[in-house]
Amino acid sequence: MTRRFSAVTEVDRLLAFARRDFKIRWSYRTAFIGDILNLFAQVVMFAFIGLMIDPAVLPEYGGQEPSYLGFAAIGIALGAFIQLGMGRVSTAIRTEQLMGTLEPLFMTPTRSTSLQVGMAIYDFIYVPLRTALLLAAMVAFLDVGVLASGILPTMLLIVFFVPFVWGLGTLAAAAILTFKRGGAGLGLAALLLNITSGAYFPLDLLPDWMQTIANLNPIAVAMEASREALLGGEGWGAVVPHLAFLFVAAMITLVLGWAAVRMALRREHRLGTLGAY
Amino acid sequence: MIPIKFDSVSRSYGDKLAVDRVSLSVDAGTVHCLLGPNGAGKTTLLRLMAGLVAPTGGTIEILGGDPFSKHIRSRIGWVPSVDRSFYMRISGVENLLFFARQYGRRKRDASSHARKLLEMVGLSESADLAVGGYSHGMTKRLAVARALIVDGPLYLVDEATHDLDIEGSAEVRAMFREKANGGATVVWSTHRLTELNGLVDTVTVLDRGMTRFDGDLDEMLSMSDRPVYRVQLRKPGGVVHPDEVNRSLSGVASVLGGNNRDMSIELNPDSVLGTVLRRLLESGFDIHDCYPETGLVERAMEARLRT
Repeated sequence: MTRRFSAVTEVDRLLAFARRDFKIRWSYRTAFIGDILNLFAQVVMFAFIGLMIDPAVLPEYGGQEPSYLGFAAIGIALGAFIQLGMGRVSTAIRTEQLMGTLEPLFMTPTRSTSLQVGMAIYDFIYVPLRTALLLAAMVAFLDVGVLASGILPTMLLIVFFVPFVWGLGTLAAAAILTFKRGGAGLGLAALLLNITSGAYFPLDLLPDWMQTIANLNPIAVAMEASREALLGGEGWGAVVPHLAFLFVAAMITLVLGWAAVRMALRREHRLGTLGAY
Repeated sequence: MIPIKFDSVSRSYGDKLAVDRVSLSVDAGTVHCLLGPNGAGKTTLLRLMAGLVAPTGGTIEILGGDPFSKHIRSRIGWVPSVDRSFYMRISGVENLLFFARQYGRRKRDASSHARKLLEMVGLSESADLAVGGYSHGMTKRLAVARALIVDGPLYLVDEATHDLDIEGSAEVRAMFREKANGGATVVWSTHRLTELNGLVDTVTVLDRGMTRFDGDLDEMLSMSDRPVYRVQLRKPGGVVHPDEVNRSLSGVASVLGGNNRDMSIELNPDSVLGTVLRRLLESGFDIHDCYPETGLVERAMEARLRT
C-alpha cells in the first residue's frame, strides 16, 4: 500500500516537472512557435537536398532502393531521440545550476533518478509528438516511401534504444555535475557515435576502420534496423534480432551512468559545489 | 532528541578554513542565531546543517541522523541567502506549486497551500507575476514561503530579512518565532544585530570560522562592555574642552574621544546615565544631544569578537 502511494506521489512529481517546463517554454511563445515552423522548414530543406542525391548511392533495404528523403527521415526521427536521451538531462542540470535551483531541488524528497527523469519528461512527451508531426508531414506531402508495416516494430526498437542513449545522457549529466561545462572527452565520444551512426549518409561511405566501429555502434544498429523495417518492408524480422544487443548496450550505459551520477553527487556534496557553475 | 548536534566540525575549501572545530547543540523549540561579520562562516555552517556540504572534520547529527540522507534533508525548510533560486519565467505561485509537489503534496492541495503561503508572506497580489519581475525583497519573501512548505521540525534561515523593509522583516521574524513556539527548531543566520531581540533564544558568535561565544542571548548581553554614549555639549560663552568634561565627570564616567563639541563618554560600572547628565548640567554645560553610541547587542558582539 505504501509502495503504491509512493509510486503515485513519484508520478505526480514528474507531472509537476512537465507542467513547470511547459509553462517555461510557453513563456517564450515566439521560440515555441518558431520551433514548429522550423520543423516544416526542415522538411522543405530535405526535399531539395533529396533532388540532388542519386538514390543509387544509397543502400538497398529489402531489395528496394529508397529515396534520400526516406533515408534521411529515419535519421532525423531517431536523431531526435538520440539528442533527447543524450543531451536533455545534462542540459537541464546545467540550466538548474545557472538558475540557482539545483540545490533547492536536491533539498526536496524527490529521488535523484526521478529528478533526472523529471528534468527530461516534458521533452519525452514533446519530442515524439514533434517527430511524429514531422514524419506525418513528410509522408503526406513528399515521396518518403515509409511502410506502415514497419511502424510498430520500429516503436519497439525505440523502446529498447532510448535507454541506451539515456544511459549515455546520464554519463553526460555526471560530467556536467563534475566539470560544470561538460567533459571534452565525452563530447568526442558523442561525436564519434554520431559520425558512425549513419543518420544522414550511408555507412558504406565510411573508411573500413570506421565501419568496424559502426557495426558495434548501437545507434547505427538501430538506424539500419529501422530503415529495414520502415523502408524495406522487413517488419519484425528487421528489428527482433537486434533487441538483445540493444538491451545489453542499454544495461551497460545505464549502470555506468547511474554509478557516475552517484559518484558525481557524492563528490559535489563533499566539495560543497553542487550549485556552483 | 537534540535536533542539531555539531561535534568539533571543520570545513575547509582548499587552504581556507571556513569552519574551524565548531561544536554546538540546538534544542527543539528554540531560535538559535548564527551571528558574525561577513565571512565568519555562518553560511557554511548552515549548508553543513542542510547536508549540502560535507564536513572535512568532526561529526554532525541533524534530527537524529545524517544530513546527507534524503529523509533528513527533506524535513528541513531552507531559506538560502542567494537571490536566484527560482524559475524566473514562471509566476510565484507556479514556483511554489512545483516545489510543493516535489515535497509530496498532490496538485490541488499544493495549489491551495501555495496561495495560502503567498498570502502569509504578503505576496498575494504578485502571485501570478513572473518571478523575474520580483524585487529582491519579494524574492526573499518567496524563499520564506518555499521554506514554509515543509511543515517540519527544522528551519535553516540564511539572512532572510536583509532585503526586506522594516515591517516585512518583523513579519518574517514573527513567523519563524511562531514556528519555534510550536516546537520547531529555527537556525537564523545574520550579521544584523537589531534582529536578535525578541526573536532568538540562543546565540553562536562566529569569527573567521571559530566560535567566539555559544550560549543564551541574555548571557551574551550580560557580557557586554560598559555603556558608551555620544554626547553633544556646548558651553555658553566658551569652548568645551574634553579635559574639563573629564574633570566634571570624575568618578562616574570618562571621555573616550571626540572633539570639543561631540564626544564619546564611557560610564563607570556603577554609574547610570542620569548621574552623568546631572554632573554635566551642574558643571555648566548645555546638552544638545545624547544617544547610545552602539546598542547593547553590538557591544556584546564586539566584546565577544575581541576575546
